[in-house]
Amino acid sequence: MSDRKEMILKEESMPERTKELPVIAPLVDIFENDDQILLHADMPGVAKEQISVHVDNGRLEISGVRKLDTSGSEIWKEFDSVEYKRVFSVPQSIDVPKVNAELKDGVLKLYLPKAEAAKPKVIEIRSA
Amino acid sequence: MWTRASDFDRMLGAMDLFRNRMNRLFSDFDRSYDKDFDWRPFEGGPLTNLSDTGGHLKLAVELPGILKEDITLRIQGNYVEISGEKKAELPKGYKAHRLERGTSSFTRSFTLPMEVDAERVEAVLKEGILTLSLPKAEAAKLKQITIK
Repeated sequence: MSDRKEMILKEESMPERTKELPVIAPLVDIFENDDQILLHADMPGVAKEQISVHVDNGRLEISGVRKLDTSGSEIWKEFDSVEYKRVFSVPQSIDVPKVNAELKDGVLKLYLPKAEAAKPKVIEIRSA
Repeated sequence: MWTRASDFDRMLGAMDLFRNRMNRLFSDFDRSYDKDFDWRPFEGGPLTNLSDTGGHLKLAVELPGILKEDITLRIQGNYVEISGEKKAELPKGYKAHRLERGTSSFTRSFTLPMEVDAERVEAVLKEGILTLSLPKAEAAKLKQITIK
């Protein structure tokens, strides 16, 4: 009896198994200005809570999990629950604590500010 | 000498063809799911799911980054047409490094397995997915017959 209880407890404490979802690459636009790099990624159906962004050692990883509720009987299915994931190399000069993300209309907008040292400086030319 | 040059060109041409085919293969692979994978063209419009919940048909359409003002829905009987436009959104003051999401207009139309009541269709756009709830027309609903 006690064995059985232990087994049930273990099952309940199992982490969510998102690993089994198929992984696909979201389509991405990348923009830049003097102050920051801006990234737009299509992630339809992904909730804000299911997005993760990691910037570490020049490596940016964005991922988002979409879980579709499947009610009724399926007539056709062209998209499903999925994990969007993509990895980029980013300059080491990104100011990581100031990285900002927003999710709107199924598009992740990621703002990667450049550290002060990496911003272009305007050099004044003095006449001799 | 000229023969050799043309041979060389031909070889490069073959390499280009191979590279294009590989690129296409990989871009399809990127967008594919390992279930229900059938090499359909993804450029043909947004992806859709259709299910039957008894009284309703439920149609879900992937439309990331598209505003509801830019989507047109037309329904008649058992015919549904969804069209719209993905507009350019180059943020002000930025230069573009990589553009994959694109801007395009699209149309997809379907013949549903049964007629729906177009007057009572509900459409919700949330997180880039448009969900249509299509009530079945009375004539299309299952009737329970009492056996005497």
